[in-house]
Amino acid sequence: MIVCVAVVGLQNNPLYLQSFTEADDALKLHYIVHCSLDVIDERVNNPKKTGSTMNETFLGLLYPTENYKVYGYITNTKVKFVLVTTDLDVKDADVRSFFRRFHSAYVDAVSNPFHVTGKKINSVFFAERVRDIVKSFGTNTTV
Amino acid sequence: MEPDVSIESGCMIRIAVLPVGDMPRSNMRDYVSMLLRLNKIELSSISSFYTEHQKSPFAHQPWENGSLRFKFLVGGAQPSAWEDFQSNRKILGVIGLCHCPSSPDLGAVYEQFQGIRKAYSSALVEKCFAFCPSDSQVQLEDGGKKGNNLILFPPADRQTQEFHIQTMMQDLAAALLMEFEKYVLRAESAGTILKTPLDSQTSLGSEEVIKAKKRRLGRAQKTIGDYCLLAGSPVDANDHYSTAIELARLTGDVFWHAGALEGTVCALLLDRMGQKDQILEEAKYRYYDVIQLYRRVPTVSFELQAALKLARFLCRRELAKEVVDLLMSAADGAKSLIDASDRLVLYVEIARLFGNLGYERKAAFFSRQVAQLYLQQDNCWAAISALQVLAMTSKAYRVQSKGTNARSHSFPNELRLSHLEGGKLNSQSIVSLFECQWSTLQMVVLREILLSAVRAGDPLAAWSAAARLLRSYYPLITPAGQSGLASALSNSAERLPSGTRCADPAVPFVRLHSFPFYPSQMDIIKRNSGKEEWWTGSIPSGPFIYTPFSKGDPNESHKQDLIWIVGEPVQVLVELANPCGFDLTVDSIYLSVYSNNFNAFPVSVCLPPNTSKVISLSGIPTSVGPLTIPGCIVHCFGVITEHLFRDVDNLLIGAAQGLVLSDPFRSCGSTKIKNVLVPNINVVPPLPLLVSHVVGGDSAAILYEGEIRDVWVCLANAGSTPVEQAHISLSGKNQDSVISIGSEILKSALPLKPGAEVMIPVTIKAWQLGLVDSENSTNKNLTGIIGRTSKEGSSPMLVIHYAGPSQYQEEVQTIEPILPPGRRVVVPLHVCVLQGLSFVRARLLSMEIPAHIRETLPIPVYTDEAVSDEVPVNETKADCLVKIDPYRGSWGLRLLELELSNPTDVVFEISVSVQMEDPTTSDGETSDFHYPKTRIDREYSARVLIPLEHFKLPVFDRSFLPKETKRVESSYGKHSNFTERHSKAELNASIKNLTSRIKVRWQSGRNSSGELNIKDAVQAALQTTIMDILLPDPLTFGFRLSRNKFSTGPLDAQQNARSHGRHHSGEDGRTKVLNCSILAHEMTPMEVLVRNNTKELVKMSLSITCKDVAGDNCFDGDKATVLWAGVLSGIRVDVPPLQEITHSFVMYFLVPGEYTLMGSAVIDDASDFLRDRARTDSSNEPIFCSGPPFRLHVLGTA
Repeated sequence: MIVCVAVVGLQNNPLYLQSFTEADDALKLHYIVHCSLDVIDERVNNPKKTGSTMNETFLGLLYPTENYKVYGYITNTKVKFVLVTTDLDVKDADVRSFFRRFHSAYVDAVSNPFHVTGKKINSVFFAERVRDIVKSFGTNTTV
Repeated sequence: MEPDVSIESGCMIRIAVLPVGDMPRSNMRDYVSMLLRLNKIELSSISSFYTEHQKSPFAHQPWENGSLRFKFLVGGAQPSAWEDFQSNRKILGVIGLCHCPSSPDLGAVYEQFQGIRKAYSSALVEKCFAFCPSDSQVQLEDGGKKGNNLILFPPADRQTQEFHIQTMMQDLAAALLMEFEKYVLRAESAGTILKTPLDSQTSLGSEEVIKAKKRRLGRAQKTIGDYCLLAGSPVDANDHYSTAIELARLTGDVFWHAGALEGTVCALLLDRMGQKDQILEEAKYRYYDVIQLYRRVPTVSFELQAALKLARFLCRRELAKEVVDLLMSAADGAKSLIDASDRLVLYVEIARLFGNLGYERKAAFFSRQVAQLYLQQDNCWAAISALQVLAMTSKAYRVQSKGTNARSHSFPNELRLSHLEGGKLNSQSIVSLFECQWSTLQMVVLREILLSAVRAGDPLAAWSAAARLLRSYYPLITPAGQSGLASALSNSAERLPSGTRCADPAVPFVRLHSFPFYPSQMDIIKRNSGKEEWWTGSIPSGPFIYTPFSKGDPNESHKQDLIWIVGEPVQVLVELANPCGFDLTVDSIYLSVYSNNFNAFPVSVCLPPNTSKVISLSGIPTSVGPLTIPGCIVHCFGVITEHLFRDVDNLLIGAAQGLVLSDPFRSCGSTKIKNVLVPNINVVPPLPLLVSHVVGGDSAAILYEGEIRDVWVCLANAGSTPVEQAHISLSGKNQDSVISIGSEILKSALPLKPGAEVMIPVTIKAWQLGLVDSENSTNKNLTGIIGRTSKEGSSPMLVIHYAGPSQYQEEVQTIEPILPPGRRVVVPLHVCVLQGLSFVRARLLSMEIPAHIRETLPIPVYTDEAVSDEVPVNETKADCLVKIDPYRGSWGLRLLELELSNPTDVVFEISVSVQMEDPTTSDGETSDFHYPKTRIDREYSARVLIPLEHFKLPVFDRSFLPKETKRVESSYGKHSNFTERHSKAELNASIKNLTSRIKVRWQSGRNSSGELNIKDAVQAALQTTIMDILLPDPLTFGFRLSRNKFSTGPLDAQQNARSHGRHHSGEDGRTKVLNCSILAHEMTPMEVLVRNNTKELVKMSLSITCKDVAGDNCFDGDKATVLWAGVLSGIRVDVPPLQEITHSFVMYFLVPGEYTLMGSAVIDDASDFLRDRARTDSSNEPIFCSGPPFRLHVLGTA
């Protein structure tokens, strides 16, 4: 189950952070997302020089922590997506497709002419769409 | 678990370092620092202290390149339960440190040391180092019995002391080595029982005892290996470990197996020192085995510790992933740790390792966990530790205190640079703005810092944390929470000494509002050295306030320099905002200036919740030089903080970009202002300063329109240098109203010394209300002016440019002498003009006095013996006002009637004077003729009649007529235009001439007087009435007695009189009344003369009527009192143009008395022109024309 998704901006500023748990662990998830930036920074600053991964946006598993696994994704504008899940065996393909859909949702959200780049994303529609994507995360494997 | 462990810690000899006796902190720190440097003693250096008592068990001791390592435990430590398992955990030596000057009794000190060392049973060597003993102490000690254990270090410089300590440590190391040898030899032969807490749990069954015996051998080998490592002999250690591993494997002693394996890795590292990379893989491989083995042991802490050791060993960027995995699994394992302090150590280590790896956020996260564990311990020391740990995390969360920021704020140069950069932000601050958005985390961290600081009893840290929390996150904090923070601030401040400074500002937010440039009273003007009028050219000239050419790019206007003057107070406006929900009292706020040439005056302010306020901060520049104002010093909540304008500017820029939570100023309802940039401020030497005030108060002088008043302006030099030049000019509106300025008085007072003052008279004549406003509209209709009060800004201003000496008094040594700037003072002459007397209307009136009928027509010849019996005027010059109207044939008096109204609530007295040309003097000298005063009560209007004497008529001619009759103008065509215009101009000129000589002065109360400016109004008003008065009648009627005979050309005489004697009146006729009197009961032959004044033939029917005093017709009716002969009515006559006809008749008066004769005519076939003159519209209506009445005095016959 996905417990949290987050969008982190170019300057490592949070643009969107949504948790999907009932428990009151928003702070913990904030910390997890914040800490994951270390790994993202590291991967971005020390990219493996192989050609196939040069343009790879999917950063893979960033780190496991407690009961969570944290996955990362970076767009070409250096906006980072972070996914925190409790599932222990997650297929990479699932996560990739999730991020791809999430990315398109993000692009749509920031294409809104009323959105100011660098500001937090407050779009209700975006939140709705993200909820749908998150909901369909597990079911996607069967398709 | 122990902190700071590494793989190499297996070879470190632990030595407790303990203060003995009275030990001042600073000395302790000194001594410890000297000791800590000696954590590695070369084996080669200790050989001189080493004596081999028996054959050393350390066969492979590397005496050339080996070394002993020490780990100093300052303050000592509790003995570990695991010290049998890992010998390096034993405290093998004790060093006491004593500062002799503070503990004079060395005996007691030694006793104390002995007491302390008893706690360390495992210690093999103990020494007490006593520093700086006095001579007496040395002597005492020499005879003492303390043996070698008390070592005195004579007072010496640090280098010598260090050398001494090193020597002693080498001695100590040698002693330890010998002890190790002893121990190993004993352990090999006799063997010792080695236990761990794990063993105690097992029951001692017989089988177990046998097993334990077998294990004992392996454990002994492992311990020997440990000692070999401590002795710096890795090869020996390796040998023993190998044996131990074999034995442990056989006996299934997993724990000791792992321990021995761990030992081999340490030995490997020690052996292959400096070749870490080559053995990395092997060490790693072996260590994973160790971790696997430890995992099978009931206690988890060794596994975690091993993981930490490996992580520390691997800790480098390239292996980050591996290290992270190790650390994260270790962190997961923390849950199974029972002991809180173990967990604490674990988290500390994890945080440190993440920090080393460069994962600062993770390091911060675990540091925070550490802090939380500390906070769970409810004591002050733990809280202090928590505070320190949190302070370290604050950097990662971007909430660090400014005080810890490396870029200290004490570099004014840097500040100035950043100000010069203009609006640019350095990237650092931008990033910090972005990172500010992790507000959820930041607030938690700050709150924890606050909590721990409160618990730790560190009021300054608490204050700083609360300040940061409040300032950065006030929008996310409820009003109650804000008040809580405010009280936290106050409570912290109570514990701080007054005057404490904190690097982190709290509320309010302070931004620069504006630099009020010098008020117009103190303007500084650059002197143009080349010109006499030095002020010209320095300010934009021309009619526009803003000229697009004078200044360049408006963007550069902020580069404007500001000049401040030594000793003259200046003001800076700043805006304070309190976006919080509590009343904020700023005890004092003043400008912060680093350049030490400014005295700032503190102000205290109180800001209600959610408000902002613009306040003015003032100060006095004290010395010449550049001056920068980076911010304000605020004393609020008991602590002094510096609020930099730059920070708030950044914040506002961030708010504008949506990066920061909220704009504190906007949320307080303050309007957005442009980013104010601090101009370059330069302080210059003193200049003169003129202070002006209007004597009798600076408030507006209330004047009625036209009132003339002297205003005295007092100028005082409030500066410290004399005024040497001054020039007065006028500016502003209504400059005309200033009649005179006493600039000579000012000039003569120069140079105006400091403190001196001069009074200048200025005469003001209040301007006309409405004239200014309505000058664009037609000014003909002036009668309907409604009173308006003076508007602000309509007053004229005196502009005084002045300057001091052309060189500075204390000459600043410069290459070229700088011309000090001049200044300008603007003195507004506040005048409030009230509507005074207003002019309503002017009319020209004419008064007719019937002429007497006598033998001749009245010929206006001036005679000196004029007797006034008919005209009730003085026989002075007013006499000559009455004269014969040549076209009416009667006496006429022209009057100018001025209607004035007084809408005010005071009484006005009007005096009219007419400037007259004296007819007796030929050189045209003038004299004034004053009429009696007229009083106009308030809210009344009055008419003033001005008899006109010398009203000059234009030369009369037919062409004059059509210009009035505009309706027929077209029929006259173009050719008449010229003459028409000509004569009109002439008429206007004469009216102007007249009106310019009339002066209407008024006086109200005791001291207000003025003159009514009515020239234009009168002139305009007269245009309408003058024609009716001055136009000739088409026909002139005249009567005369024809008793004697007809005089020839009486009208010619009349005309003569008119042409050359305008000023003459026809009083002469009256003297002859008696000579040619008419008697009753006598035939009186008379003639009526009719003159045609037009250029056309006039056909008419003439009638003559006679009336008695009662106004009854005397010819007709029952009681006709006059008999007549001849035709008196319906006489049809044709009068040729400009000719006259006479008609004779005879009258016989039955009754003596006064009679009036009047001629009248009905004109047939009147021309359009005549009709127009008669103002008739229909063409068939007869035109009736009647002459003036003529009087007859009929005497009785008796």
